Amino acid sequence: MLRLIADTLVIYIAASLNKPIQPVLDTFAARTGTVIQRESGASLEHVRKITELNKTPDLLLLADADVFPRFLVPKYASWYAEFARNRMVVAFTAKSKHAKEINADNWTTILQSKDVEVGRTDPNLAPVGYRTLLMLQLAERFYKKSGLSASLLGRAPERNMRGNAAELAALLAAGELDYIYDYQSVAESNGFQFIALPPAIDLGDPTRAAEYSKASVSVRGSTPGSKAEFKGQPILYGMTVLRAAPHSAAAKRFLDYLTSPATVAQLRAAHIDMLDHPIVDGSGAPAELHGTARP
Amino acid sequence: MIALERVNARAGGFRLTDVTFAVPQGGYGVVIGPAGSGKTTLLETIAGTIRATSGRVMLGGDDLTHAPPERRRLGIVYQHAYLFPHLDVRKNIEYGAVSTAAAAEVAERFGVHVLGDRRVESLSGGERQLVAIARTLARQPEVLLLDEPFSALDPRTRNTARRLLRTIYFERRFTVLQVTHDFSEAGLLGDIAIMLDRGRVVQQGDPEQVFRKPASPYIADFLGAENVFAGVAQPIRAEAPDWIDAAESEFTQNAVAFTTGALTFYALGDVVPGPTHAVIRAEEISLSAEPAMSSVQNQFRGTIVEIVPGGALTRVTVDAGGTPIVAAVTSRSMRELGLSVGVSVVAGFKATAVHLC
Amino acid sequence: MALPDPSRLEPSTARQSSNPIPRAIATIAVAILTSLFLLFILAPVVGLVSAGGAHGLSSLASDAELRASLLLTVGTATMATFLGVLGATPLAYLLARRAFRGRAIVSALLDLPLVIPHPVAGIALLLVLGRNTPLGVALLAVGLRVANSPTGIVCAMLFVSAPLYVSAAREAFARVDPRYETVARTLGDDAWRAFRRVTLPLSARGLTAAAVVMWARSVSEFGAIVILTYNPKVASVLAYDRFTSYGLSETLPVAAVLVLLALIPLAALRALRGGEPLPR
Repeated sequence: MLRLIADTLVIYIAASLNKPIQPVLDTFAARTGTVIQRESGASLEHVRKITELNKTPDLLLLADADVFPRFLVPKYASWYAEFARNRMVVAFTAKSKHAKEINADNWTTILQSKDVEVGRTDPNLAPVGYRTLLMLQLAERFYKKSGLSASLLGRAPERNMRGNAAELAALLAAGELDYIYDYQSVAESNGFQFIALPPAIDLGDPTRAAEYSKASVSVRGSTPGSKAEFKGQPILYGMTVLRAAPHSAAAKRFLDYLTSPATVAQLRAAHIDMLDHPIVDGSGAPAELHGTARP
Repeated sequence: MIALERVNARAGGFRLTDVTFAVPQGGYGVVIGPAGSGKTTLLETIAGTIRATSGRVMLGGDDLTHAPPERRRLGIVYQHAYLFPHLDVRKNIEYGAVSTAAAAEVAERFGVHVLGDRRVESLSGGERQLVAIARTLARQPEVLLLDEPFSALDPRTRNTARRLLRTIYFERRFTVLQVTHDFSEAGLLGDIAIMLDRGRVVQQGDPEQVFRKPASPYIADFLGAENVFAGVAQPIRAEAPDWIDAAESEFTQNAVAFTTGALTFYALGDVVPGPTHAVIRAEEISLSAEPAMSSVQNQFRGTIVEIVPGGALTRVTVDAGGTPIVAAVTSRSMRELGLSVGVSVVAGFKATAVHLC
Repeated sequence: MALPDPSRLEPSTARQSSNPIPRAIATIAVAILTSLFLLFILAPVVGLVSAGGAHGLSSLASDAELRASLLLTVGTATMATFLGVLGATPLAYLLARRAFRGRAIVSALLDLPLVIPHPVAGIALLLVLGRNTPLGVALLAVGLRVANSPTGIVCAMLFVSAPLYVSAAREAFARVDPRYETVARTLGDDAWRAFRRVTLPLSARGLTAAAVVMWARSVSEFGAIVILTYNPKVASVLAYDRFTSYGLSETLPVAAVLVLLALIPLAALRALRGGEPLPR
């Protein structure tokens, strides 16, 4: 293919997607000669860059599909699509204290003991942060232990928090933490061991949306002093191409590639629980998305 | 006293190699040498700032080679005063003083007691140097090291400082080692002169001797000897019957014929036949209108080519057969003899005035 | 008496009188360059303070998180500077005075932290001071936890800013002629006393300036700190946090207040130095 000028594509990616999606980006770049500029970070960070700093990427791949209707649609984007699922897990390594004893039955006990360091993400910045809080609320109901959520949170204090899922994972990998509440995809792509949590609490099953919605948390809103409510919802990753995308042609080509069966399989192998087809909300989504409208 | 035995040292780009000499207790030693010869390095090695890599440094009879500077009971005055800028004059003088009284006394001797509360930066160069010397003496050191302490001063302050220092020196009789450029000063001052070149002692001894009999033409040149000739020396014992049956002392030396250019001098010395140098001080050369019947063996006619007036003494250069001879003549003689450029004269000097090296 | 004939003036004289023009151009060029540079440095700072200064100052009373963050920033930066001065001054003196073998290598090594990207510096510190490392365990034994604590903040600040102090302190010592020390020693001081009574007073201003630079650098650090300690938040982390949560309107005041606060010690110290006449 002859190209006189290399195409560019600017993508903002959620931190938890960073590692698994890198090979996909590299292959696309190699095949099409596109130069990909990616920025990785917490989902809300990316939103701020667009709404406050007037930056305009082409494509957004964020960890919480809910962010789109809240902040970006309709002003910055006319549509968004859910494309992957995820679950909350408790991740750890061989170096973690009690690593040999922990299992699905005793994790709440171990994570309350005084000698373990437990970490989580800042709920004010990253979806995985407030999802942790929601999961813990659901856990309290599920295990029928009053005060469980507060107790577990007490062992994961503010000082063990990090701004996004990837930084949290790095801390676990470095041995500074014993356990983290994080996405399964992050745990798997970092090679951590993890405890699979009951589907009733792990926010990973789309059919349990009603159950999940019984939990709700209040975190910092978008203006000082205000609060934002988040209800428990199945974890869904979302994407969009902004209205003002400077390289919309390249973006469409990428969408085509991203949603092709081969790439979906590749991402599944990299521990991203891809939906078969993206579920689209709003109008104007390009055909290259191969999405299906929300029923 | 100061005694160095085969001292080697290295600092920055300067080095000392196998330095050996001694200044007697209460004596005055003078160090001379060209720039870069290691004079300051020598002083700082004696002071202990620079560590001797081998050899011994003895001060007052004690081996202090490995002692730190503060235990060597010596003082050092550099060309620059190095007064502590953050202290006033009084505090400077009192810095290491034996007692406040001693400091005050020395300050008064040097006339700087009136500067008491002044800040260092408000002093003139001469005042600073006097304060620096007072500061050093207030500690009553046994050894005083001086690194051209007067050379940056104007002539009047220089004389005052020199005089005051010498007075105290004669009173207290500490041992002094002074680096100086001004060799005439050395001749006047010292008990021993040490000539340094590229870190080595190339000559040492009575200043007068070093002056009159420099060990090499290089030294002679450095000391400012005006007449240094390169030529060939040939012993002529057989041709000088006058001296064969002489008694001891200098007359047991060989008679030598020294040829340079078109001239041949008669000289005394024990030399190996062959190329060598002859040194004659300008003061030893006399000028006359006609050759004189006298004990002066060497007399050469020539024409005056240059006259350099210099106060009481005038330097006259005579071209004798292509060889320039510089004579130092009193200005009065100049007038009496009617000497000027182009005049024909006879330059004469005794055989004993010719130093072969 | 005839006046000199202008047509017979030496060419060099004629050239002399036309020289002022290139000189004037050079002067103007320098003036423009200087103004542009000053503008480049000052404009963003002035812009920041004017945009957020009022809001920031007024919110100091109500915003406990901001107050706590500023206090933490100033406290940890001061601690880091204190430790740096204590630990690095002897080294700076050694580098200035002794030409030991390997001095050039040590100097180069000491400059490395300045080159390392800041998050990488944080990671490097974690690898050496983390709770599973020998050093980390030793620190834990005395109750000091590095990651996720103010100790980590101090470590990160110290690591990235100490090289600046060493450089500047070394310069300050080098400017003191070693002969002052020689003289002091011959006047009876041992090495330590000479340092205390002569070298230190003479280099005090330079050392203070070096410490100020180190303090300022510590206050502004972000990348290395955020790896080690996210909570409690220093001002730089808080500013970024506010940006992602609320946006520009909330992040500028934090930075503006920080700049205004930092002005006090910086201006005071520069004013002290300003009284010093140029060295002769």
